[in-house]
Amino acid sequence: MTILAHRDYRNGEQHDAEVVVVGTGAGGAVVGAELAEAGRDVLFVEEGGYHPTASFNPYLTESLPRLYRDSGGTVIIGRPPIPYAEGRCVGGSTVVNGGMTWRPPEEVLMEWESVTGQPDLGAKAMEPLFDRVEERIHARLQHPSSIGEDSRLLEEGARRLGWQYEPNRRAQDRCVGSNQCVTGCPTGAKQSTLLSYMPRALSSGARCLTEVRARRLWIEGGRCVGVIGKAINPRTREEDIDVCVRAKAVVVACGAVQTPFLLLGHRLGRPSRQLGKNFLCHPNAKVLAVYPHDLYAWQGVSQGGQIREFRNEGIIMAENAVPPGTVAAQIPFLGDEALDLMRRYNAMAMTGVLVEDSHGGTVSRSFGAPMAKYSITRYDHERFLRGVRYLATLHFEMGAEKVILPFSNFHVANSVDDLAHIERSQRSRSTIELFTVHMMGTCRMGSESRRSVVNLSGELWDLPGCYVADASLFPTAVGVNPQLAIMALATRVAQRLQLPN
Amino acid sequence: MHRVLLKLADAILPPSPRTETTLEDVARHALVYLRYMPRSTATLFLLGMRVINWSPLWRFRGLRPLSALPPETARRQLLGVVQSRWLPVRLLMYGPLGLFMSSYFDQDYVHQELDYAPIPFVADRIELRRKWIEGREPGADEEIHHLPSGTP
Repeated sequence: MTILAHRDYRNGEQHDAEVVVVGTGAGGAVVGAELAEAGRDVLFVEEGGYHPTASFNPYLTESLPRLYRDSGGTVIIGRPPIPYAEGRCVGGSTVVNGGMTWRPPEEVLMEWESVTGQPDLGAKAMEPLFDRVEERIHARLQHPSSIGEDSRLLEEGARRLGWQYEPNRRAQDRCVGSNQCVTGCPTGAKQSTLLSYMPRALSSGARCLTEVRARRLWIEGGRCVGVIGKAINPRTREEDIDVCVRAKAVVVACGAVQTPFLLLGHRLGRPSRQLGKNFLCHPNAKVLAVYPHDLYAWQGVSQGGQIREFRNEGIIMAENAVPPGTVAAQIPFLGDEALDLMRRYNAMAMTGVLVEDSHGGTVSRSFGAPMAKYSITRYDHERFLRGVRYLATLHFEMGAEKVILPFSNFHVANSVDDLAHIERSQRSRSTIELFTVHMMGTCRMGSESRRSVVNLSGELWDLPGCYVADASLFPTAVGVNPQLAIMALATRVAQRLQLPN
Repeated sequence: MHRVLLKLADAILPPSPRTETTLEDVARHALVYLRYMPRSTATLFLLGMRVINWSPLWRFRGLRPLSALPPETARRQLLGVVQSRWLPVRLLMYGPLGLFMSSYFDQDYVHQELDYAPIPFVADRIELRRKWIEGREPGADEEIHHLPSGTP
């Protein structure tokens, strides 16, 4: 198993491989593993470090800098601004996500088929890919021993209101509900790519260069032939060693923000001018309920299921218990007032409303960093208000004392009657507080170079040898947790990737 | 800048529980977080904190910066920023709130105050999974229940 880190690099050193894959998350690890198992010489380039399961612990002060991009301090600019989080470590965001494995709804796949004009992305063509990925990441329902009180509460609330509740299928092998998904699963149950695809790739001979930031593509004669990067010193955070990788093909799998950022540095995507466009982020609003009794929501799987009654309206609701530090950073109180609320942490049910994007934003380069811009539409805003009201109603139905709402000018609802004020007080899109972890789009896949950034094999129309394999491929919004769809598309890219003679 | 960080942390965080090194620890964690960001982003965060420090002036609430005010007064002033009706003003607090609150509420003595104890729970769950891997599937007595049956 070859995993190199900053201490192993020498300035100006060149590494050679058949395929270099930038990123080791849901896209990169899958492409790399599939190719390595097919006998290709694969080399991964990963900006973050290698952190094995034994190193994971529940402390945010350790986990945020080690596992998250920019310590989790990334924001999408718009109305309202939306903080977002993505992983930066071997395994990428799969190390810190909830591991949900929903297949895209059939209507989404039909739309993809229609948008691309080809059956390749339709339900029938994608099914074997989903089957293959689900088998490899152990996509399963949770064992009863892993379900916590907050999940049961949400399920019971949905049942009382006559709403459809569906248990999650998650990438897990004997998950016991330690509820540390966001700081890295300490039990080894969550099948992030750190534990599923990366070991497959490495045992098939792939190598991984960690702590290397890909700065530029290496282009020769109009073809992509490698990646030029800088190794990051983990102590000083300085980028101090040049690292070059030469390969016959390059797969960029850095996520929907970093992938277009890298490609835009070369003025690519010219045929369609769609590179960096169609940025989707499936935003969510937190609804925090305080109950008269302790739930200990931090015990049990972080998300046991989802309320999908309003799926046709593009609204999904779910619980998602996070550590106290994350909750405290999002409440609009300071000092003793914040502590008074946080003393009720064990009585809190942390839930959220996810709304499917109705339009796209953009990702561009600005002062050497990526800038994501996205504003919710009035239609999205109206659905958020409706979703928050639904969820708060459920909490009051289940006996909540109060509900902390995601509005900067209306913080607390003490009864179901207070919810009538939501529509009246929330006329501006600036007063809702959103968050996201589902960034998608920006390198749309398609069958025509005029309308898409990459072809149906994932190869850029205007740069042969350069492939994309992450959430940026999505032609339209997926409306569910995107991990499974990313992995399936990455499998397809691996199957279709062709090397020059 | 270090003094501003300490004073802002003092105003944002609950006065107790704290240890002698709470403010220093929280400020140090904030600086570690910033080191993992691009330099431009980290600079913006720090610049934002300087702007917040002078918020009494630009909000027409006084002539002295927050760092020169007693913590209780500074906290009242900051609450006005956090709950401002103006989005750009509220945005200024994203950084300090995220950095200081996530660090403070990550400390063991604060966890104790909240009756939050993830370490023993995780250890227990790791042991449970180990037994499962050895062939003993968890039974009903290993399910997570805290509410008496019949609780709404």
